[in-house]
Amino acid sequence: MLALDGLSKHFGGVRAVDGLDLEVRQGEIFGLIGPNGSGKSTTVNLICGVFPVTTGEIRFEGRNITRAPPHVCLAAGIARTFQNIRLFGHLSVWQNLWVAQNAMADRKASGFLNRWFGGSARARQEVEALLEFAGVAAKADDLAGNLSFGEQRRLELARALAAKPSLLLLDEPAAGMNVEEVGQLRERLAKLRDDGMTILLVEHVMELVMGVTDRIAVLNFGQKIAEGTPEEIQNDPLVREAYLGAPQSAGGGNA
Amino acid sequence: MDFYLGLAQIIGVHTILGLSAYVVMLTGQLSLAQAGFFAIGAYVAGMLTVLAGFHIVPAMLVGAVLAGLMAFIVGFPALRVKGLMLVIATLAFGEFVRLFFFNFDYQISKGGITVGPLGGEGFRQIRFFPENGWTSLDVMLFVWAVVIIVMAALWWMDRSRAGAVLRAVGEDELAAQSAGINLTVVKVAAMTAGGFIAGLGGGIYAHYTTHIEHLNFGVILATFAIAYPILGGLSNVFGTLVAVIFIQGVLVEGLRFMGDWRNLLFGALIVLAMNVRPRGLFDERATALLKGLFTGRGHART
Amino acid sequence: MEDFLFDLIDLVQSIADGLLFGTTYAMIGIGFTLIFGVMDKLNMSYAAAAIAGAYSSIAILAVVPAPAPVAFFIAAIAAGLFGYVIYLLCFRFIPLASPLATLMATVGMLLLIDEIIVHETDGMPQPYPALFDDVMVEFGPFGLRGDLMFVFAVSVVSMAVLLYLIYRTRLGIATRAVSQQPVAAQLCGIGLERTNAMTFVITGVLGGIAGAMIGAAVGVLSPLLSIPFTVKGLIVTVIGGLGSIPGAIIAGLLVGAFENTFQFLRGVTERDMYVMLLLFVFLFLRPGGIFSPPDGRD
Repeated sequence: MLALDGLSKHFGGVRAVDGLDLEVRQGEIFGLIGPNGSGKSTTVNLICGVFPVTTGEIRFEGRNITRAPPHVCLAAGIARTFQNIRLFGHLSVWQNLWVAQNAMADRKASGFLNRWFGGSARARQEVEALLEFAGVAAKADDLAGNLSFGEQRRLELARALAAKPSLLLLDEPAAGMNVEEVGQLRERLAKLRDDGMTILLVEHVMELVMGVTDRIAVLNFGQKIAEGTPEEIQNDPLVREAYLGAPQSAGGGNA
Repeated sequence: MDFYLGLAQIIGVHTILGLSAYVVMLTGQLSLAQAGFFAIGAYVAGMLTVLAGFHIVPAMLVGAVLAGLMAFIVGFPALRVKGLMLVIATLAFGEFVRLFFFNFDYQISKGGITVGPLGGEGFRQIRFFPENGWTSLDVMLFVWAVVIIVMAALWWMDRSRAGAVLRAVGEDELAAQSAGINLTVVKVAAMTAGGFIAGLGGGIYAHYTTHIEHLNFGVILATFAIAYPILGGLSNVFGTLVAVIFIQGVLVEGLRFMGDWRNLLFGALIVLAMNVRPRGLFDERATALLKGLFTGRGHART
Repeated sequence: MEDFLFDLIDLVQSIADGLLFGTTYAMIGIGFTLIFGVMDKLNMSYAAAAIAGAYSSIAILAVVPAPAPVAFFIAAIAAGLFGYVIYLLCFRFIPLASPLATLMATVGMLLLIDEIIVHETDGMPQPYPALFDDVMVEFGPFGLRGDLMFVFAVSVVSMAVLLYLIYRTRLGIATRAVSQQPVAAQLCGIGLERTNAMTFVITGVLGGIAGAMIGAAVGVLSPLLSIPFTVKGLIVTVIGGLGSIPGAIIAGLLVGAFENTFQFLRGVTERDMYVMLLLFVFLFLRPGGIFSPPDGRD
């Protein structure tokens, strides 16, 4: 579904991502792990067109999206969340979802004028299900900036879903969550997969990665050092040395 | 009485000018070209009524469309790059327009007198209102009818998805892009709408002053245009109206006794205001308090 | 044929004069670009403060008569001081999260400086001292004006000193560190506010020299100068690439030559229009400027 082919990104002399090959298959949760600075977030930003690619190619559902800017990637069906939450803090909770309703199917169905200048009553109904999903229905009219940390994380996930993507890129969605919240997130992701969503999960929190992913790739210094099922990865000596052997919460060495 | 009618006209036209900058500012951009678009609207509408015998309404519309088109042409290359580029490009464009009209002659003879713009002399005798027997009251009502149409349109836009998208872009461009918003399209659209609205304002201005010249459309006017929504805050369109009433009604008219010290005060006041209240003199809370009051008054005026 | 040759000689002469005067644009452009580099913000009042520095030297010379070089020196010091005041009033206390407020404050400052000048001089142009204005160096049919050559020399030396300061001293390295990684620079013990303030003072001094040289080259100072120099300084910044010092130098010379060419071809009232058009040509064809900075991680 998503294929990275020799993907590289150099910042000056630093090779943040260096010749990465990766394939995410339809309907799976694919984990991307690695020490801090190993290029995970950069990879996400390359896929959705935030950074220009130095060399290599990105294909999504057979289409070459290497040079596509973020909004085109979203129209193609790739939605994302951010490592440090980026909501529209001065918009209300439901407006955050309204803004993100950019699915191609919706665009064609609703017509230009209605889509941009139509009344808000119907639009509100459409985001109702997402508000429920994020567990913030009661706070729909609050400013997004006033939500609690956990609520903001869930709202951001809902915002990504508002565009009806076929692939979700989640950049450390469990960062800063407690054990209970991680458990809830795990259930939520598993449910999304059961509904047919494909997910690329970049994460440090091992309970989540090992518990929910189908396959995992490990990055170190911008290169892939291992790929396989969670069991295979946990038993890979190279990975243990580079990453898992080090105290887990500290996240290993820096590149 | 005429003094108050005149003041009401000034407040009305400046509200339109301020709102033209407000639309652009919602996307987090600052345009210093609003005076230029205002000038285009003024000269084009004036020439159409004086030289081509148009009625004022179509003349204003043509002027506004042309101003919007210029905004599109300026905004497109500038907004593709970095946000600050727009400030520079619009400042340069505003000065370009002023210099263009400084060098612009197009005079024809009509009924024994020559009329039309004449370079540094300006464009005199834009006499649509007196020729058609409009009283000062009629003109004032016409100005405010346009103000109310523009305000109502923007108020509606603010509450639609378009408004939410503009504000989303203004808050976080990367997040907005990642939510599927084409930044260039949204920003250029806001810029075009802003140019159109400024053009409308210019069209009225040319007709109630009857004499325009390039010096009317300098950086000072461009600064006024952005000062209104910044001081009034971006929470809604009424903030801009309140700021115009405050600046034009209280500061400019109320402080006439200070002579030319008054001009010094404007710049100093902006600097002070930005230090004390960087989110606008009338931020979210203050506007909420004033909103009820001024919506009531706005209705009474029609 | 002869007419054409005379025109050509005049044209080349105009371009040469423009190149010499263009160094003042280069200095103003460097000032804009440096502040942009360090703060990621525009200081719209920069050119006005530069000209105000030159005005201050007139004011002081009116009380204590002194030769022209002293006037230039006073202009530099005064403008450096204005730079610090602008930093305090428009940058220091306005939260980083409100970029529009900072920009607006500097626009307010631009108007305030202009109005103070108008108020103090009743809007009348003031004569400004020049050096070597009676010298003319002849090269065949061409002549280089002594005052312009002096302006050129002072500008080149000032820019050389600035480049030395930026690339060879601890202060300059701190400035560049702040402009690249403000947080990391702070962790290395570089005082952010002190470095920012110093940047404003140094660019202010450079601006003051530019202001004095503008006065020396034009022969008069007038409040009508500040807006055109603001616009042209910013145009130089864009053409050179936001944040690029060598770009600003080249773009300054380019704008100077370009403007004089069009003054020769189209007259003084239309001249500036073509400079603005040059900006739009660059925005369309090369939006990143002559030297666009490499893209970074953020």
